[in-house]
Amino acid sequence: MTGFLVRRLGQSVIVVVGVTIVTFVLTRLLPGGVARAVLGPRASPVSIAEFDHANGLDLPGWQQYLFYLNQVVHGNLGFSYQLNESVTGLLSDHLPKTIILLGAATLLTLVIAVPLGVMQAVRRNKLDDYFLTTLSFALYSMPIFWLGLILIIVFSADLNVLPPEGPQGDISTYLNPDQFLSLVLPVVTLALVEIALFSRYMRSSMLDNLVLDYVRTARAKGVSTAGVLYGHVLRNALIPIVTLLGLSLPGIISGALIAEAIFNYPGMGLLFWDSAQKRDYPVLLGVTLVVAVATVVGNLLADIGYAVVDPRVRVTE
Amino acid sequence: MSQPSVTLEELPLVDAQAAAEGGEAKVTGSAWKLAAYVFLENRLAVVGLGVVVFMFLFCFVGPLIYHTDQINTDILQLTLAPSATHPLGTDNVGYDVLGRLMVGGQTSLEIGIVAALLATTFGVLWGAIAGFIGGWLDQVMMRIVDSLLAIPTLFLLLVLAAIFVTSLPMLIFIVALVAWLVPARLIRGETLSLRTREFVDAVRVMGGSDARIVLRHIIPNTIGTIMVNATFQVADAILLIAALSFLGLGVPPPATNWGGMLSDGVSYTFAGYWWLIYPAGLFIVVTVVAFNLIGDAMRDAFEVRLQRR
Repeated sequence: MTGFLVRRLGQSVIVVVGVTIVTFVLTRLLPGGVARAVLGPRASPVSIAEFDHANGLDLPGWQQYLFYLNQVVHGNLGFSYQLNESVTGLLSDHLPKTIILLGAATLLTLVIAVPLGVMQAVRRNKLDDYFLTTLSFALYSMPIFWLGLILIIVFSADLNVLPPEGPQGDISTYLNPDQFLSLVLPVVTLALVEIALFSRYMRSSMLDNLVLDYVRTARAKGVSTAGVLYGHVLRNALIPIVTLLGLSLPGIISGALIAEAIFNYPGMGLLFWDSAQKRDYPVLLGVTLVVAVATVVGNLLADIGYAVVDPRVRVTE
Repeated sequence: MSQPSVTLEELPLVDAQAAAEGGEAKVTGSAWKLAAYVFLENRLAVVGLGVVVFMFLFCFVGPLIYHTDQINTDILQLTLAPSATHPLGTDNVGYDVLGRLMVGGQTSLEIGIVAALLATTFGVLWGAIAGFIGGWLDQVMMRIVDSLLAIPTLFLLLVLAAIFVTSLPMLIFIVALVAWLVPARLIRGETLSLRTREFVDAVRVMGGSDARIVLRHIIPNTIGTIMVNATFQVADAILLIAALSFLGLGVPPPATNWGGMLSDGVSYTFAGYWWLIYPAGLFIVVTVVAFNLIGDAMRDAFEVRLQRR
């Protein structure tokens, strides 16, 4: 286990360093140079020189990278001159909201997709299984921005039961009835696509396990159908879901960006989108770095989780 | 509906041909089930192909038959409901929506296909070179891929779109820039096993250069993976472009694409102008699903086992 952990951790560190190189290179690609991109086209030569010095841009190339890395390691992700706030400060406002959105959507996904997949596996190749399979295929093929729009048309414009905008208040107010209601559509939009994916995996994972020898052994020992299903098969079928959680992380983060844009949900994705439109580069690159590191860490945790629940991984490694 | 071309007698339950050749006599399942499977599978692929052909005709031949002005706006004809003169109504600047679907579709399909070709070509070369040469070069090249893959696609795409001023060629370029990573990884994996094969030694014995081995022998041997992945890439690229346009960083007007049309329609969600939202979205979904169906069928046909994304 230790060897596995060390090797996996090493890989993650290399990728994180790689990501910092990518964001560093991207800053060098900014039109007209970093200082002009950040300070605007009318910045004076003096302020540009000051900016360059403060950000280590007057150093040789490889030292610039080390300077950048040093800043990042100390939590300085840059400064948004347009919003007059540090990127770290902006993130401390927006990141928790995105985490809540992602967490709620993932929780909803698991709560619905796991029983759905089990049901489909038990009733495989029956009418309801075909119906759900078709439905999940349709949902999975649907771009999230269109799905969100349709939900707004149906539930906000036509039925007028849910607000079309995400909660605008502070996180502490999210449990107030009106704020909570406005959380429904963004979370459901994000979850629907994930439910389609996860229930497919759950169904096939259950089917894979149902034909294994231990199922027959358990039946032979006299374990009831429900006992086999929930005591044995379900536990084993859940193992690949742990990996899927890690693998689907980049996708769901991209999805959150679009969901936040549609529902004007003031999370990291909305911040990122606004910054892209305003060409607010420090925020763009700072958020990119944070999102990438979060993805790497998420994948690492999923792998470790997989090794914990499935001893075979540790043995073969 | 036509009958399945294979009958019970022709489909043995065990793979007799493989057994005769000293291979494994695999049980191939119930004949009817197999026949139904083959049939269904082909049918889906045919449907997918039919949809793609339809989309091409609709987008590229359609405007020759159905004439609309897609350059000059018409402020007297804003957001008209569908009628005889405008089967799908008009949009917020007075363009005919049906005609707009054709023009927008041209952009979506062109960008999707060109970006997929670019990404696949570059990714295949990158992966084949990394896998074939191996060693530290392979390590460096694949860590670059890993690092870029760690950044969620849409975030990377938006950063690139914000940095590089968007014109149509630039848009294709940045979509390809985020899309080449998956083929690179897939082809590297295949190259690792191909480079140890005898025919590679044979080429080398005959004096073939490394470049010749990679270009003439290794890459052609991965053609199944390449074609399957390229098909999926087209679907992905169409979706990415749509998402990017929806977020307002797509093609500059008067050019448009299906995602851009959707973006223009958003402001009218509460006005009940369904023709600004449903048609464009439906076209994206149907086209993407069609390309994915073709890709799935091709994967089965080439019998390549690969993981999408």
